[in-house]
Amino acid sequence: MRMSSTIGLRIGGALLAVVALSACSVKGGGAGDGAAYPSKAVEFTVPTEPGGSTDLVTRALAKSIEKPLGKPAVVVNKPGANGKIAGKDVFSSKPDGYRVAVMPQSLFAIGPLMVQDPDAIKLDDMTFVKGLAVEDYALVVPAASPYKSLKDLLAADNLKYGTTGAGTGSQLSQALLFGVAKVKATPVPFDGGAPTITAVLGGKVDAASVQIAEAAKHVQSGKLRALAVFGTKRVEALPDVPTATESGYDVVVDQRRFVAAPAGLPADVRDKLAGAIDKAIATPEYGELLKSNYIGRWEVGGDEVKTQLTKAQGEFAALTKKLGIDLTGQQ
Amino acid sequence: MDFFSPVIAGFGVVFQPENLFYCLLGVTLGMLVGVLPGLGPAATIAILLPVTYNIEPTAAIIMLAGIFYGAQYGGTITSVLLRLPGEASSVVTAIDGHEMARQGRAGSALGIAAIGSFIGGTVAVIALTFVAPLVAGFALDFGPAEYTALALLGILLVSTLGTGSTTKSILMATVGLLLATIGQDPLAGTSRLTFGSDQLLDGIDFVIVAMGLFGVGEILYSLESLRGKSAPAPSVGSVYPSRQDLGESKGAITRGSLVGFILGILPGGGATMSSMVAYAVEKKAAKHPERFGKGAIQGVAGPETANNAAATSSFIPLLTLGIPANATMAIMFGALLLQGITPGPLLVQEKPDLFWGVVNSMYVGNILLLAMSLPLIGIFVKILRIRAAILAPLTILITMIGVYTVRMNVFDMFLMVGLGIVGYLMKKVGFEPGPLVLAFVLGSLLESSFRRSMRLFDGQLTGFFGQPIAATLLVAILLIIVVPPLSRSLRKQRRKVAA
Repeated sequence: MRMSSTIGLRIGGALLAVVALSACSVKGGGAGDGAAYPSKAVEFTVPTEPGGSTDLVTRALAKSIEKPLGKPAVVVNKPGANGKIAGKDVFSSKPDGYRVAVMPQSLFAIGPLMVQDPDAIKLDDMTFVKGLAVEDYALVVPAASPYKSLKDLLAADNLKYGTTGAGTGSQLSQALLFGVAKVKATPVPFDGGAPTITAVLGGKVDAASVQIAEAAKHVQSGKLRALAVFGTKRVEALPDVPTATESGYDVVVDQRRFVAAPAGLPADVRDKLAGAIDKAIATPEYGELLKSNYIGRWEVGGDEVKTQLTKAQGEFAALTKKLGIDLTGQQ
Repeated sequence: MDFFSPVIAGFGVVFQPENLFYCLLGVTLGMLVGVLPGLGPAATIAILLPVTYNIEPTAAIIMLAGIFYGAQYGGTITSVLLRLPGEASSVVTAIDGHEMARQGRAGSALGIAAIGSFIGGTVAVIALTFVAPLVAGFALDFGPAEYTALALLGILLVSTLGTGSTTKSILMATVGLLLATIGQDPLAGTSRLTFGSDQLLDGIDFVIVAMGLFGVGEILYSLESLRGKSAPAPSVGSVYPSRQDLGESKGAITRGSLVGFILGILPGGGATMSSMVAYAVEKKAAKHPERFGKGAIQGVAGPETANNAAATSSFIPLLTLGIPANATMAIMFGALLLQGITPGPLLVQEKPDLFWGVVNSMYVGNILLLAMSLPLIGIFVKILRIRAAILAPLTILITMIGVYTVRMNVFDMFLMVGLGIVGYLMKKVGFEPGPLVLAFVLGSLLESSFRRSMRLFDGQLTGFFGQPIAATLLVAILLIIVVPPLSRSLRKQRRKVAA
């Protein structure tokens, strides 16, 4: 008796999963006609594991967009290959506005500097719907570190710096900074923000560049010291920390996220979706989430997203080339 | 008291109805898989991983932990009644436990095992409460060099101290290390062994390896080995041990708690090894060692206490250092990652609710299990009548749906079935998947930590010896490799001299 009820439970779980799945795979069928759009659920693909900031932003967006859209919004996580797996999947589907992805700038602006991939997603594969968020990086050292300022740090020799991974803004921001300052420094990549922070806290590396959300509470509690931020202007969470540019090193690196659909999305569908996003991001719930996670707004139109990506791509490529920084070999 | 306030808050987390429910569900499932021979806790946790995906993290880990230590209770039942260990960690219990059953003392054996398990588990949780924050306190000193040494030690211990042949274990560990190299280079980002496929760019997902080798492999294997066997369960009798039984087992339970707690923390240790060591300890400590194998109650009490204490204490390295001490913990590691939680030194501070919620749920779980093992034991004995032909296909079906839900990727399903067949063949020729899975998990840690260390030390291997913790661990590794063969040859020589 006991057993059968447990089996029932297990099957129940499995059935739930099946139902959830069938709710997710709502592709095909709909006509890409702006007046009728949307006639069914819209699927938002997240190219990372659940839990990261892309996931957070997308889930908050999906929650707030259902009302202005008038149809359900479903979030699907499809992690892998720095976002390429999700991108390839979504951008090869029918451009009808029912499948979109929230993509990171780094995949297009930093990825190509790391690995030569003839099969990479190109800007022309996408219709840009809307910019969403911008996140800045901060350069931090342990509280006990002898380096009190960016000047101290850059006067040192043979530095070891932690990065949150290969092909991230964390790596690029520091490679550029040390390149511009002509300081000998070795990158030590970790798997994401948390292990990088642990390494800085433990004094295993001299410095690291991490996203504000990860750095802020340790800086505020006095365990880490922030020497610079890599944005165009100072960040709200760390008002006393100068930008790298202010300190005389012209290095601006940030992470941006945007909504993109397959190339060839009809303009009226795009406008309708962008309009619904505008209403969603204006809700207090969405704003609260951004604020509590130190995520900045980057709410620009699709054309501007494309301009920014093209600009970042060109700038980073030119800078690394000029400074002789080889991100592929990493030394 | 600053130390106790998060601990007490943790009890608040446990007593939320949802968490209590998952705790009960976990330990009940644990009892069940413990009773069912063939399906172990590692396999069950692996199969349920995708289901936990939709559950709140604390509740999910509470449930999975419940399965692990619950199985230590359940595994005893079949060991004692049928001499058919439900779990590897109850193999030694079968020796004296089944002998007791044949003498009509099955109830006493099961009763003392349940009480021993309860005491062992509870002692280990109390010790865990004080030891874990201590370890986490100096865990910031653990950098790439220390993790390199620790991973190396773990792989070495699991291959040499395991239950099967050492050569086979080392072979399996090597395969695990090789599999771990598939995917993007952890430092440079270039792709390795992917054969041009984007699907393999992130390496093989640990969940798929665990579900394939443990889950599907074990189900296939148990289908074969159980065919035609019917299980006549003998009567149990009174499960409440007599005063004499309790008196005789007091020492065994105390020693078992200690042995289990210590061996559970060690990499490569865990429930199975600690139960075997505890049995050996009891035999040495006994006034009448000749009674062992003929129904000595200490031979049940010691190992059963130890395996439960070890199941609990093996959470310490996982939750404080992010290092899984054994294969089941490796799967638990996967479960945490799936929830977006990276176990490591900052977990206790940053997620006190999760940490203390899980730890304190073990008190509740052990009480629930004690209740299930004493008055309700008859119900679980009846489960032995369920036919594998019904259970197995159902479990495989759930596994297939489950693996798809993780990444919504059909490729993963094929990969898992393939690994399942490999797992089945491995078991058939006597290769344990444990060392492979643990080496697979520790492999990427070993590689990336080693290469990070090399960068920190400017490419000098001697840099390791500048780090006190790493140096100590490396010396320990050297001793483990050098001492046993040396002492063996010394003994041989002495024997030669004597002869």
